[in-house]
Amino acid sequence: MIKRINSLGRKRIPTSQVSIAVHDGDPRRFSASIDLSETDWPLDAIVVIEAMCAGSPNVKRIECGTISRLIAPQDSPLDGITGRNVFFSLKVIDRTEKIGRLLGFADNLRPIQTGKQTEVGRRGLLPVEAVSLGQEIWRIDFREQDVFLLVNQDVPRLSERMRSDPRIYSIVYPEVIRRVLSKAIDENIDLDEDDDRWQALWLRFGRTFHQTRDNPPNAEDEEEKEAWIEQVVNGFCKTHGLMDRFAIALQGADGSDE
Amino acid sequence: MSRIRVRRFNTDGVDAFRRELAECRTITTRDIPLELLTDPQLTELVSPAIDIEQRNFVTKRDAAIYFHELFADIPKQQLLEDIGLWSWLSLYYFDVVCPKQGGARKVRNDYTYVFEAKSIRHFYRHLLFVSWRTLDIAPTHNRLLLGTSISSLDKFSSEVIKRLYLTRIPCFFEVLDRLYWDEKRGRARPGVTNFGKITAGNLAHRLPIRIRQLEKTYDLHSLTADQLISLLGEEFQFDAEKAKQLKLKFG
Repeated sequence: MIKRINSLGRKRIPTSQVSIAVHDGDPRRFSASIDLSETDWPLDAIVVIEAMCAGSPNVKRIECGTISRLIAPQDSPLDGITGRNVFFSLKVIDRTEKIGRLLGFADNLRPIQTGKQTEVGRRGLLPVEAVSLGQEIWRIDFREQDVFLLVNQDVPRLSERMRSDPRIYSIVYPEVIRRVLSKAIDENIDLDEDDDRWQALWLRFGRTFHQTRDNPPNAEDEEEKEAWIEQVVNGFCKTHGLMDRFAIALQGADGSDE
Repeated sequence: MSRIRVRRFNTDGVDAFRRELAECRTITTRDIPLELLTDPQLTELVSPAIDIEQRNFVTKRDAAIYFHELFADIPKQQLLEDIGLWSWLSLYYFDVVCPKQGGARKVRNDYTYVFEAKSIRHFYRHLLFVSWRTLDIAPTHNRLLLGTSISSLDKFSSEVIKRLYLTRIPCFFEVLDRLYWDEKRGRARPGVTNFGKITAGNLAHRLPIRIRQLEKTYDLHSLTADQLISLLGEEFQFDAEKAKQLKLKFG
């Protein structure tokens, strides 16, 4: 199996080294605390924070000085960034050549503190959202920053039952895992341990259910990919005893085992 | 119904519009009922009050310019999420976005007319919304996308607008224009949006992949169009003389 490697020389900046708070207002404002002291960056490298909003092409870019003279944004306006779901990237850039080269990068940084106008943090691995789906019961929705499980809002209590009713989750979740992992592998990301993009989170989640805890294969290897996913789904079903739970729930619903 | 107040569909209105679209698919010569536009059970007035009139938009640019003037007082975020408004507009301009040809219409998928704001696969397929949105994010260098017919989704719009990582690069639309607009012929270069065949420099297959590669190494946000084109590599150098100049400039 070919292992994923990051051969670009660019370092992933752990999300723990940046913390961001977004404050309500018009426009909203944000403050960041940045600690890049753990890595030996060139002192003249430029540091930049970019703010974006899910679904919008607008980017607010704030220069934070250099590694030697780092000025983290304090109460900086987020003009042009209008949606609730705000996220940030941090870049360390080598500008010694004509074209700026990335030395370090952290993306999908979520604010840890917000007001009412902004979503805080991440909503879990698979947020469930009740929406209008016509005659469909559920659907996976791959968004830019998250994967959502959409459920039909017209089925009473389906959001809760999706998590608590074994007659539903034991059928739905294995298929969800299959599809999300397949898509995550296809995205061909470098599986860094401190990466918290949805693809990385799901692939690490998958790995915990793999029999030998193997990293996922590359997207090009279709057979390996299928085999890895099947092992993960199998491990997930086994760990949670899905068939047993399903059978017991079905018996309970029927009132007998005939 | 030449000039009326702009309204938006409520949920029942959107459902009713979807049913009418289904009917029109079955009976292709049928006239879509325009009474839905003013039905108080299915619609509400947009605030502040705006008057709208029938226009014979030919290109997406015609529609985009008109909507930008018309909705200048509505907050942008509201327009980005207003399912009822954009869907209502599709019905108001139905003969423009879904014209009859030979007495019959070919009604496309619902998302072409019913705005699905939250669906990343469908939001950019709404013909009127994508026109407005393209002019919003690309006020210049937009002729490949906005110079196209209003009644169908062209390949440039569908391949570009759905990929936010492309449209977030400030010089992207200039790069797109310089790569794929054929100045001599006054139109897009032939073959560059062919989805069925992977060719060098192809928009559908090669450009998004190449940008994804470059964004791992370079700060694409700070690049000029010249710099980004030079980084894209030889397969994107359609014009030999310009390629030579860029090579001399950036190495």
